[in-house]
Amino acid sequence: MPAASDMPQRFQQAMLYSFVPGSAESSLQFHSFDASYVENLCGGDRQTQEHFVAYFSELLHIKLRSRLQSPHAIEDVCQETFARVYSVLRKDGGLRQPERLGAFVNTVCNHVLFEQYRSTARSDSLDEEGAPELPATGADALDTVAAGQIKKKVREILLRLPERDRSLLKAVFLDERDRDEVCRQFGVDREYLRVLLHRAKQEFKVEYIKHVGNPPPLCADA
Amino acid sequence: MNHSEAFEQQAAERYLLNELAPDARDAFEAHIFDCPECALDLRAGAAFVQEAKIQLPAIAFSAPAPARAFKSSAKRSLWVSLWRPAFVVPAFATLLLVVIFQNVVTFPALRTASTQPRLVPLAPLHSATRGASHPTVTADRVHGVALPVDLPIGPGIAPAVSYSFQLRDPQGKLAFSAAVPAPVQEPSADQPFSLVIPDKSLQNGTYSLAVTSVSAQGEGTPVKRYIFDIVVTD
Repeated sequence: MPAASDMPQRFQQAMLYSFVPGSAESSLQFHSFDASYVENLCGGDRQTQEHFVAYFSELLHIKLRSRLQSPHAIEDVCQETFARVYSVLRKDGGLRQPERLGAFVNTVCNHVLFEQYRSTARSDSLDEEGAPELPATGADALDTVAAGQIKKKVREILLRLPERDRSLLKAVFLDERDRDEVCRQFGVDREYLRVLLHRAKQEFKVEYIKHVGNPPPLCADA
Repeated sequence: MNHSEAFEQQAAERYLLNELAPDARDAFEAHIFDCPECALDLRAGAAFVQEAKIQLPAIAFSAPAPARAFKSSAKRSLWVSLWRPAFVVPAFATLLLVVIFQNVVTFPALRTASTQPRLVPLAPLHSATRGASHPTVTADRVHGVALPVDLPIGPGIAPAVSYSFQLRDPQGKLAFSAAVPAPVQEPSADQPFSLVIPDKSLQNGTYSLAVTSVSAQGEGTPVKRYIFDIVVTD
């Protein structure tokens, strides 16, 4: 993991691997995590690279959000992960099982995260524990492609919920209150909360796929 | 974790709700990097939660207001419509007629019935004995019937502070229950009581009346049991 003094270099990496706004929809629609995908990725194929960064950026951000508080630290780990993955892929015989590309990215991320924890313990330089969370500045799918329609859909779903369910979601996700306490207050159990979220998510997913794209890699020859 | 396990365990929802144990969380994360379907599910869920966090503060309490306003205005319009003259005038006229009828007809009749002396046929009654047939009491629907009941007071019987009566109708249901204090009198004679069964509640069939003496300690001792048939005549 680069130290804090390497920030300019890491920033360059961040620029290099950043998600390209407006290209997500097309880039998420094709490619398969197979030998040809990895070959295209290493060969500098732009569409494959966009797909790779868009697809894994989102997953890495979801994963890292539950572990790191600072958006800067999240972005650093994300970019470092991409850098290391590219580095390995570009070596001769880089990845023995191309179809396990996703698992490989996750493993690399875990290593980077581990180093991040150790680095934070030493200097507290990257993850600003206790610092207020800054608004996301990166260009993710929500901010770019059809963000308006997606926001509208979320609003529709929320408005259709009974007031109690809306308050429940607010207490859990926004106020971040203790789940058990919230359930007691609203007279529901954890299962109710899961089902509530599941239904909202399923309804939203239809719109999400429509605008952001379904990332399951299709066979390259399909 | 494989796809079916993730689906069955609602892993995406648990992950978003931060309910997974560290091991399960790691396993699910490893899975989503390998399973595009679960990855899509989680991405959609995460995007929904993220956007909901932004919108909920504005929606959570502002949205129900119009609904409440609509509901209260609907309630108010219903309440107001109830006070329209077309509805209120006939309703009050009907209520007025009911009040007049009760005051002119019903209450005077009840008052007369309760204050005037009336004759009630007295039917002889004997306590039940093994093998004996039940006495038959004939009653009419106009007067009802009065049944003489003897309270056993005398030497050899524990002094009672009160007596309780339980009358069961032909269906075996408790039709009447009462308690009276034990009379103070010479210990040599039984104390007669009359049990009046009003005409309205009379029906053909076998009645039973149980008399229980209650001691000062609150202990109840059955002292007499009457079983009799009632034949109602019009």
